[in-house]
Amino acid sequence: MTSVLADYFPVLVFGVLAVIIAGAMLGSSLLFGHQKPYAEKVSAYECGFEAFDDARHRFDVRFYLVAILFIIFDLEVAFLFPWAVSLSRIGLFGFLSMMGFLGILTVGFIYEWCKGALDWD
Amino acid sequence: MTGGLGSIGIGPYLTVSAILLVLGVFGIFLNRKNVIIILMSIELILLSANLNFVAFSSALGDLSGQVFTLFVLTIAAAESAIGLAIVTVYFRNRGSIEVEDITMMKG
Amino acid sequence: MNWTLALPEIVLALCGLAILVFGVVQKKGQPFLSCSMLTIGAFVLTAFLVVVSPDGTGYNHIFVNDSFARFMKLLSLAGGALATMLTVGYARELKVERFEFPVLLLFSTLGTMMMASSGNLMTLFIGLELSSLAIYILCAFARDDVRGAEAGLKYFVLGSLASGLLLYGSALVYGFAGTMEYGAIQTALSATSAVPMGLMIGIVFMLAGLTFKLSAVPFHMWTPDVYQGAPTPVTAFMAGAPKIAAFALLLRVMAGPFGHVAPQWQILIEAISIVSMLFGSLAAIPQTDIKRLMAYSSIGHMGYALMGLSAGTEEGMRGTLVYLTTYLLMNVGAFAVIIAMRRKGRAVTGIADLAGLGRTDPGLATAMAIFMFSMAGAPPLAGFFGKLMVFYAAINAHLFGLAAVGVVSSVIGAYYYVRIIKVMFFDEAAAPLDRRPLSLSFVSVGMGIATAGFLIVLGPVSTAAQAAAQALFR
Repeated sequence: MTSVLADYFPVLVFGVLAVIIAGAMLGSSLLFGHQKPYAEKVSAYECGFEAFDDARHRFDVRFYLVAILFIIFDLEVAFLFPWAVSLSRIGLFGFLSMMGFLGILTVGFIYEWCKGALDWD
Repeated sequence: MTGGLGSIGIGPYLTVSAILLVLGVFGIFLNRKNVIIILMSIELILLSANLNFVAFSSALGDLSGQVFTLFVLTIAAAESAIGLAIVTVYFRNRGSIEVEDITMMKG
Repeated sequence: MNWTLALPEIVLALCGLAILVFGVVQKKGQPFLSCSMLTIGAFVLTAFLVVVSPDGTGYNHIFVNDSFARFMKLLSLAGGALATMLTVGYARELKVERFEFPVLLLFSTLGTMMMASSGNLMTLFIGLELSSLAIYILCAFARDDVRGAEAGLKYFVLGSLASGLLLYGSALVYGFAGTMEYGAIQTALSATSAVPMGLMIGIVFMLAGLTFKLSAVPFHMWTPDVYQGAPTPVTAFMAGAPKIAAFALLLRVMAGPFGHVAPQWQILIEAISIVSMLFGSLAAIPQTDIKRLMAYSSIGHMGYALMGLSAGTEEGMRGTLVYLTTYLLMNVGAFAVIIAMRRKGRAVTGIADLAGLGRTDPGLATAMAIFMFSMAGAPPLAGFFGKLMVFYAAINAHLFGLAAVGVVSSVIGAYYYVRIIKVMFFDEAAAPLDRRPLSLSFVSVGMGIATAGFLIVLGPVSTAAQAAAQALFR
């Protein structure tokens, strides 16, 4: 039992460190920061929502569209990293496979562009 | 079968993933309120399988499990995108996404 | 690296992308018709490439091409092409007249082809998801239709749950067999006499996921609602290609890698087959909507087709393959008739709406009668030979109980099929149906001839099925 618990000791250290660092950051900004909120400062910054507001209200369906498109396109990176790391060993076939994959993504991109999914209005 | 997992072994990993799977399945069947929660439960099920794959891959010293995990992540993203799109279409038609309302057809 | 091995899939994928770009760059109007035609062309081209594609495994054993894969791929392609043809006639009325529709059908069919060729748990899952994800969208494709959206949502939730279970099962199989490749799993399993518990659980999970896609009992609950709610051409597609592909996976996985633990899963398949046949024929009796009726009928058909698998012999597999061929023919034909059921510009789907069709539209009624008799298993129509072969295989494998249940449930099933014929020919005539477009007449007549004259092609089809079944056991 003790040996199993000992295996988890690094996790404990990790957790304690995370709490300490997070606490220090929040605490020091509370202690040393100048806090003078005014209307300009707490207003929406680019995303269109009030910064301090109830999060549980309906919002524009267009945000959903942006989120959906983002989900699909951000995951290509998950394939690009391993490919880039092993590029020297996978040869021409590996290189062309990724080019094919990126080509398919590009077709998707052309589609969404021509459909006007990237225009906000 | 404890190759890369140290002395902890594969048991705890399988237990955690089984718990996640059960949570996901119950999230789908016991939830009466919101379809979005169902989407999250589906994600949970896929992730529990992913955890299994990574744990086995590490234990067996065989990388193909981790490769599979990457593919599953992508598929999960596509699936949730499609799920959100269908939920949006449904909401536009019915004005509600409560699970109890999805009963147009029965029999 | 054998590049030509996956040539049909690569060509079909490239065609799909090209059609997508072609459709989206059109400045005015919906290029629906031209995209549909291009899609059908792509299916035909791919079918030709499938026929000439070589045998072998490639891409690090993740992709297999043999006569079994070719057989299944041709069936899927036929299903896809016929479903595209069914869409053309009433696309505007069904609110699916957008060029993405045929493209999605194409990608779904591509997924089913991947499933037929999978040589590894990875290609299994990716093919399955490629075909399912496209169908989720197709179900909810008529965006303003409440029922369509609900069908899409239901199918999405339950389908994703099934894929999740399948994935979890394949994770367990991977872990306890130590590999993902079918061939290597088979070697690993034949080396040990004791099967690990985890592996058995994994197989059961995978079975659950696949039986969901087949809509066999006990994972059938989505079928009636989704069949009823989805646009009818989508229903016709769903009842064809994806089920055939799910069968392809089931046969390949069960006969190949899990062949050595056959006694453990055979009893399970047998039970699923029995309850599917009985449920399919009993629950269909009180139905009044023909699309729901077709849903229950397809549950029953999956039960019969599973009968061949539960025999676990080469003969049984051959029976299943022939059964699936006949199922595809009569199913597409019946759906062509259902799509043609429109009165004053509105789709009608009640069984009562068929009343008197024998007098108002004898051609259509005759076609429907052929499909119904064939589904009931009346000789000498297509459905009879499929049933005959699976029953024969079951009896030869000494599964007498299974065969008896099959016979009883076909008799019960005959009741509701014959009831439709009675409504068409002997009931008081309702108002005549609208004039139907040429494409629907073409499909229903073509399928009618194929169903009625199946005896002529029975020889070649069963030879091909025999070769396919042999490839499975090699």
